[in-house]
Amino acid sequence: MVKHNKNQLTFMQYIFLIHGVQAGVGLLALPRELAEIAGTDGWISIIIGYFLSTAAGLLIIQVMKKYPNGTILDLITHYFGKWVGKIAALVFGLYFAFLASIIFIRECLFIQFWILPQTDLFILMLLLSIPTYLIVRNNIKIIARYSQLVFFMTAWMIFFYFPPLKEAHWLHLLPVVKEGWIPIFTAVKITIFSFIGFEITFFLYPSLQKKHKASSGFVIANTLTLSILLTITIVIFTFFSPDEITQFKEPTISVLKIVEFKFLERVEIVFLSLYIFVISTTVLPLMYSTVFCLSQLFGAQNHSKFVSWYLLLNLVYIMFITQSFDRNDHLSKLVQPISLFLAYVFPICLFIYVSIHDRVKRRTNL
Amino acid sequence: MKRSVPVLVSLLLVILLSSCGSKPPLEDLTLALILGVDLDDKNNLTFYELNPVFSKGAKKGLEAYGVRAKTIRDSRRLFDGLTTGEVTAGKIQVLLVGERVLEQAGWFSILDTVYRNPNFSMNTRVVAVKGPVSDVIFYNPGEKPELSLHIKAVIDKSYDRARAVKGTLQELHREVYEKGMTPIISEVKKKKKLEYSGMALLYNKGKYAASLDVPESTLLLVLKNEKRHEVTMTIPVFPIDKEKDIFHKNEMSIQASRVKTKIKTGYKNNTFHFDVKVNMNVNIMERIFPEDKVKKAELVKLMEKELQKQFTDLIKKIQKKKLDPIGFGLYARAYHYEQFKKVDNDWGKALAESDIKVSVNVKVNAYGAVK
Repeated sequence: MVKHNKNQLTFMQYIFLIHGVQAGVGLLALPRELAEIAGTDGWISIIIGYFLSTAAGLLIIQVMKKYPNGTILDLITHYFGKWVGKIAALVFGLYFAFLASIIFIRECLFIQFWILPQTDLFILMLLLSIPTYLIVRNNIKIIARYSQLVFFMTAWMIFFYFPPLKEAHWLHLLPVVKEGWIPIFTAVKITIFSFIGFEITFFLYPSLQKKHKASSGFVIANTLTLSILLTITIVIFTFFSPDEITQFKEPTISVLKIVEFKFLERVEIVFLSLYIFVISTTVLPLMYSTVFCLSQLFGAQNHSKFVSWYLLLNLVYIMFITQSFDRNDHLSKLVQPISLFLAYVFPICLFIYVSIHDRVKRRTNL
Repeated sequence: MKRSVPVLVSLLLVILLSSCGSKPPLEDLTLALILGVDLDDKNNLTFYELNPVFSKGAKKGLEAYGVRAKTIRDSRRLFDGLTTGEVTAGKIQVLLVGERVLEQAGWFSILDTVYRNPNFSMNTRVVAVKGPVSDVIFYNPGEKPELSLHIKAVIDKSYDRARAVKGTLQELHREVYEKGMTPIISEVKKKKKLEYSGMALLYNKGKYAASLDVPESTLLLVLKNEKRHEVTMTIPVFPIDKEKDIFHKNEMSIQASRVKTKIKTGYKNNTFHFDVKVNMNVNIMERIFPEDKVKKAELVKLMEKELQKQFTDLIKKIQKKKLDPIGFGLYARAYHYEQFKKVDNDWGKALAESDIKVSVNVKVNAYGAVK
């Protein structure tokens, strides 16, 4: 079993870890997906998604408070017994494994399409696997430090999105609520997945230094994600015409194609090269959660072996099965209901169960 | 043994870095700077390309080719057969589109690869050519800098002085797909010399509709409320007997230091109403007629009247052609969404039937250094 030393994560590390997992590869296509359903009202859906995810995250923290010194797996073992705990470890492990793998492959596909069209996907993945291995084999503290470092390294990239504002047409945003509220609520089904990743709070909570600040830290992280999603979405909605935006698969990258400096052209390539770091802060904690669950399942002391097996499995997978954006989209659609269950439904059920359980217990003790 | 593992792994990785091996040096590339599309007399698609030559032995610094091909991508095959290096598209500065192409409906779809292939730059200026493209691409002025730079500089300078649109591929894409407005691109023509001749207004799907000369282009940009470096107009203030007038003694030039156009919308009796208010703060740069010819207070009124007439004429011309280069449709969509949705597939027609009023408000900042 992996020892999670107490009091490992600082407040800041916790914030950037959660934010890092949330903001990643989904941001590249998000404005188009929103526009397809809700037109330029899609930004309202982001705000609704924000409130839903904040509620779910706070609920997770409330559940974890009942058993503050263990992860969700320990909590389940405590309440439901050893075997249910094992099953939970398997479910969470598989979920994180699929999610991490899908995002990892998507990252490679993006690099291949936009930057290195002639390089084999396998080689790209191999090259990315090595630094990934070096970081993920360590404990959560190292990963959190990495997330924090990457955030400060890449936060300035948002400035790339200000030059397109010169050609913004703010009229595109009007009228607010064009076609009624139904499309806006329909689009929420996309935005709640932009915030997905906060369920790693289940695993971070026991390592927190200041547990009483867990809720405020979560809200800060979620708000940070919201502000980035909103800024980029609004820039894109005002820059592209509402009739053309659905033509661009990744408008978040396409919009940068018009940014040009005297000394630098094709800014989108520079952006995407740096964005690999941002995506890695999604992938690495997810991979860590995967191997954490697996080592818990098998009762192993050291999880680094699982990391190498996991990465190897990914490489074998893309070696034998040709990857495409379509396949990747299809797979991520398959994982979405599981995300919805584990991040939104499961905390509610668990919270209700744990509250009732404790109350019944207290009454019998009286 | 343990130490040799990292060494071996890093060696392996260096070998795997495949993309560094095939990087060609600049001399071996053929950087297309201008791409031209035209139709010949028998309506065959013809593509032109102009690229600099870097090798020492060459006499001329530039070479231009024209080939008949099926598509833009297909033309690369033929260009590769003609040029020394590998033809690359990433640096195309200007895309010339011939008059004969523009007259065909649906020509825009031949540009598909430009948007699909991420190697193309979106800042390429799309320029219409009045006449055959070959006249422009094989034009070698000698005293001018290299042609692609020249065309780009002419467009960009005119852009700064509020006479042209940049008309980049990105803008063209937006305007073609946008239902609430019609596309505009810059236009050049070659008679003896190559010159910027104004704007080409296109129908919604890209088909050529009308041309504007340079003064009209400025008026259009003012109506579009686009912020530019400088807006200058030379306008007649009062009528004059043409036969006696050699020196245009009724003209004056104004430079607007601040231009703000406000468009208000309304919807009544099944038609859209637009109320366009142009506010200008101007400096008088030139006045050919003597001071006592017109009183100061009257002068402003006369300027307003003349400008209003010019704006109204321009809008009438646009309405007649069922175009909307100004983007009234964007306002209609923003403020009268439901009514706009009913007509958005034929917005040009709806605009032609709508009621547009222009009022001009001029304030004079300075009358100049002499009386």
